[in-house]
Amino acid sequence: MKKFWSNLSLNKKLVLIAITLGVIALFAGDPYGGTTIKVNEKSIALSTVDNSDKVSVTELADWIIKDKSDFELVDLRSEEKYNEYTIPGSQCIPLPQISSSDLLRNQKIILFSDDDVASSQAWFILKSKNYKGVYILDGGLNAWKEKILFPKAPVNASKDELVEFEKMKEVAKFFGGQAQTDSSVTETKQEIKLPTTTGGTTKTTAPTAKKKKREGC
Amino acid sequence: MNAPFFKFEYFNSDVSLIIAFAIGIAFGIALEKGGFGRATILASQFYFTNMRVLKVMFTAIVTAMLGLYFLSVIGFVDLSLVYLTQTNLLPMAVGGLIAGLGFIIGGYCPGTSMVAVATGKLDALVFVAGMIFGILVFGEMFPGIEEFFNSGYMGTITLPSYFNLSYGLVVFLVVLMAVGAFTAAEWGEKKMAAKTGKEIL
Repeated sequence: MKKFWSNLSLNKKLVLIAITLGVIALFAGDPYGGTTIKVNEKSIALSTVDNSDKVSVTELADWIIKDKSDFELVDLRSEEKYNEYTIPGSQCIPLPQISSSDLLRNQKIILFSDDDVASSQAWFILKSKNYKGVYILDGGLNAWKEKILFPKAPVNASKDELVEFEKMKEVAKFFGGQAQTDSSVTETKQEIKLPTTTGGTTKTTAPTAKKKKREGC
Repeated sequence: MNAPFFKFEYFNSDVSLIIAFAIGIAFGIALEKGGFGRATILASQFYFTNMRVLKVMFTAIVTAMLGLYFLSVIGFVDLSLVYLTQTNLLPMAVGGLIAGLGFIIGGYCPGTSMVAVATGKLDALVFVAGMIFGILVFGEMFPGIEEFFNSGYMGTITLPSYFNLSYGLVVFLVVLMAVGAFTAAEWGEKKMAAKTGKEIL
């Protein structure tokens, strides 16, 4: 066997290697399926427990008001709902498209939908695809509406709470909402009109389709 | 560690330019060493007197294919992140024919002409000038041919997905094809040499 091999010319050796590898390839399977996803279950579980993967709506409102731009805000709902109302500065990437989006792995990404379900799913998808800084907007758009756009006056409020509420009123105004001082208004929730995304906000919504970089030769 | 390195952001786009520069130089050296810096060698491929182009290119294809295939099977390369050109069948066939004509007439393809310029070949300099002129002409007439340019769009397709074959089978078939082509090339070169009485370049 050894003698047979050393008697071959270099070309013949290379051809033999190529054919051998080709035959192995017949049984080696799908290269796309071979890309296994590695999930660090411990770190994922831990970050869920200590809430380090969540961003509260008040934090987010604060960042938007301060015009921070070191994060990418992602609206996971359908385009229809996105056009109706969204948090200023967000881009629309519906959940089914999240894995093929051009979000970058080193970006700080904040996900939200109406509640926490879709954003948790998207969070897991991105996290398992090795995205580093993925966060969930705690409570989603519902919490955003409740706490930022239409905050309710606390019942039997202490002094501190009242000061806090005065602040929230200003924040609500900034985002085009209105603080609810009369508790009866909230009963008839249909009357609350959502602010239009473009009016009264600092950032206009980012266009959905970012210019895609051309590749290839 | 996972590949493609750039897509997994092991380095940024500035560093990627430096890496591209290094790879480009290595590619140029490989082409020159393969004899692709001489128009006579390249053109003789089309007269079947010297099959060096076919051998070098097919070797490169098989090497890259086997490497990519096995690296992705073991999970090192994420193939879904590797860029695939989209296919417009007829425009690409026409473009290929035009490029082939230029190849026979000029004796270079765009890449090899750069290599030949680097080694100081005058004909390659003229070829590159013509190529730039051609790019200008194409750019100017583009609005007129835009419709044809975009016709026959098939998206990003691959042989396995189009013919519904397994990837492994296609890899095996391409290896067989290459080995067959090498054997035929060797045989053909001997025949042609006997016919023309000339030594292979």
